[in-house]
Amino acid sequence: MPVDEETQQDLSYHQDAPRARTRDGVELYYESVGEGTALTFLNNFFLSAPFWRECTGELSRRHRVVTYDFCNHGASTRLSQEPTWEEHAADVIGLLDALEIESTYLVGTSASTQLARDVALEYPDRVRGLVLAGPVFGLRGMRRHRQLNRAWLLTLKNEGIAALYNHMYPEVIAGEMNEEGGTPGFLGLRESFMAMNTPEELINGLTLAQQGDTSPELLSRVVAPTLIVLGDDDILLSPGRGRDLAALFPKGHCEIMPNAGHVPYLDDPETFQTLVLKFVEEAEAHV
Amino acid sequence: MSDQEVEAARQRIRGLLTGLFGNDRFVSGVPDDMSLREAGVSSTGLVSLLVAMEDAFGFEWDDEVHPEVLRSIDSLAGHVVALRG
Repeated sequence: MPVDEETQQDLSYHQDAPRARTRDGVELYYESVGEGTALTFLNNFFLSAPFWRECTGELSRRHRVVTYDFCNHGASTRLSQEPTWEEHAADVIGLLDALEIESTYLVGTSASTQLARDVALEYPDRVRGLVLAGPVFGLRGMRRHRQLNRAWLLTLKNEGIAALYNHMYPEVIAGEMNEEGGTPGFLGLRESFMAMNTPEELINGLTLAQQGDTSPELLSRVVAPTLIVLGDDDILLSPGRGRDLAALFPKGHCEIMPNAGHVPYLDDPETFQTLVLKFVEEAEAHV
Repeated sequence: MSDQEVEAARQRIRGLLTGLFGNDRFVSGVPDDMSLREAGVSSTGLVSLLVAMEDAFGFEWDDEVHPEVLRSIDSLAGHVVALRG
């Protein structure tokens, strides 16, 4: 079976890509493709900016898609001190300033849905809407997410990065994708996972992911339109709880993706992009 | 593991890559020991190659295979020949 031209992209960085200066001593690697309303993707500590090329082709035909590497990850600046959530939020705003983007939709996934929430609360004028794919929020708190992260961190520290992948894969990948891809799918994604991350980056990311305010009351203060994209096989939330979670946001809505897991854009990039396009179209119609 | 067996496996894998990419321009520029990732093979491409290798060589991949096995044409060929005993 020939490899589809659409997916003939790799995880390599554009060597000549400019960097965005966001804070003193911090320059972020970024990619900006397409024109129009901006959609800014927030990595979840496991992904790098180039990864998104395979999941955003359709979006970038209609909008401006911005992806970037967090400070201390991938091709962005390395500091001796791991950034706080507040500094990551400041980097988002610094990136928007550098790219002359007045306001943007933020697309968070797993741990970075927390960052999307924080940016929306701290800088509401810069956020047109939120897309939360596989959110880490619960109806009463975030204990389940924190426990999951602690277990992953323990595996990483004790057994290494390949063991962490073995641990995570059946938890975050939907059962359908697991069976459909079989061992080649498992091994192919493992190769990408190990290419995108160092153990040190993952330890820092998994440690930070256990910090921050877990209060569900915060969600009721998010004024931006919010779309929750939830796989019906997500490890953290059932479809029913996803809808209940969306109801905590003043302008929240939940879309369930069948046969998808905690990272639904991996299971079905086409449907994911269709949902995001529809959400942006509807949100823009009400501006 | 004879050199001839490994070389035959390398050539077979190159043939599979040529089939997957539609031409041999890409494959001919990739040294045997070069990282396929660094050469530009995406995860999708790697998955397609692994599936094609199962059909071509008559074996099934195992979840526990060491990550280094998937690195290059050389390492893939070595694995195939080692499986044959």
